[in-house]
Amino acid sequence: MALLTVRDLKMAYDGRTVLNGIDLDLEEGELKVVMGPSGCGKSTLLRCLNRLVTPTSGQIIFRGEDVMRPDTDVRALRQRIGFVFQNFALYRHLTALENVTLGLRKLRGMSTAAANERALHELGRMNLAEHAQKYPSQLSGGQKQRVAIARALAMDPAVLFFDEPTSALDPVMSREIINVINQLRRDKVSMLCVTHDLTLARTVQGRVLFLDQGEILAEGEASELFGDHADPRIRAFFS
Amino acid sequence: MDLARIFGLLGTGVGYTVLVTLACSATGVVVGLAIAILGRLGWRAVDGVLGVFTYVFRGIPVLVLLFIVFFGLPTIGVSVPPLVSMMLSLGLITGAYLGEVFRGALDSVEASEVLAAEAMGMSRVQIFAYIELPQMLRFSVPGMVNEFTTVLKYSPFGYTVGIPEVMKQAMALSAATLRGVEIYFAVGLVYFAIYKILVTAIWALEKRCRVPGLTEH
Repeated sequence: MALLTVRDLKMAYDGRTVLNGIDLDLEEGELKVVMGPSGCGKSTLLRCLNRLVTPTSGQIIFRGEDVMRPDTDVRALRQRIGFVFQNFALYRHLTALENVTLGLRKLRGMSTAAANERALHELGRMNLAEHAQKYPSQLSGGQKQRVAIARALAMDPAVLFFDEPTSALDPVMSREIINVINQLRRDKVSMLCVTHDLTLARTVQGRVLFLDQGEILAEGEASELFGDHADPRIRAFFS
Repeated sequence: MDLARIFGLLGTGVGYTVLVTLACSATGVVVGLAIAILGRLGWRAVDGVLGVFTYVFRGIPVLVLLFIVFFGLPTIGVSVPPLVSMMLSLGLITGAYLGEVFRGALDSVEASEVLAAEAMGMSRVQIFAYIELPQMLRFSVPGMVNEFTTVLKYSPFGYTVGIPEVMKQAMALSAATLRGVEIYFAVGLVYFAIYKILVTAIWALEKRCRVPGLTEH
């Protein structure tokens, strides 16, 4: 059974179609990369999948459960999906450690000691243990994004969503994040990554979906899409 | 009567001045928070009521509202004690101003942090309590210091409704000794000392809770 199955997902704002019949499957432990030009609906797709925005129509099956049903516990669904944002979105008044423990304490009901232990484990996994007591303003962009990943992983999510994880970073820091994603892929963490960073898509070796004007135009291995594709829009994007 | 004796007698009113200041400031904080929180709901009817409340209470003089509460309400059978009258006049006016301070501070909380908390599965109340409120209070410190200072400076109105605070003691002393200059000079020094202690305490608290990169002064 697929972790995530999406069928004919549509989303419209103010009469403008943003997603127009998206079909998507994500298996357990799989990494898929969604690429496409700015404004093509990539971020909206992620926000629809964890119900941050409500799709107009379509079907989203998450671990066998239809999460488009009106009685879906949306907050419980979100707790099973880790979300990493382009601009890190760390809580500025909390240290790196507190950023990671907040969800564990307030949503999982863990004691402070247990949450700290778990958070330090995740921060250590991101090579950030020595930065645990620093505030976001005292961290580099790459470090902030790794704290954000640790924060998401600490909640033990079924899948990690990345929304343009490298677009606010310079090439060196982007490489840090790409290495982390590669490590998570080796650890069989299920991931859906939205990006227009060609280096990221090429390096992480997941299947790539090309989204344009709200529709998935192609899906395949990076090598297939990055080559001399028959569709001129795909060729133009990846060239 | 020497200055030390004058200070001693005025000192008996300091406790009431501090009490009035703290009670009215606390009322202001509660009302201001309520305005900011209710304004966050985005309900048009509530927004309308808050708009009228803020407009009226920011426009009406403290002394006029105090007299309406203390002398006016008993005429319709509602007797209000002096300290409560101060809280319902000076406190509510302070709340109207603090509501605006808190609203501005809430707008300074980054939308991306609120979105991240939503994506994490937090409820609206949890987001307010753990993300917005702690940042809002830090952003509000300069505005709160201004308002608390204003409350202190308006606290002498308490004497008009019979609260034996510093100003009431001063008037009694002045009438008894006919040494108004020394007495009111001493009153000025007392208020300045209270102001200095109040501001120093607030900034010490702010410094203790300061987060690098969040607020710069």
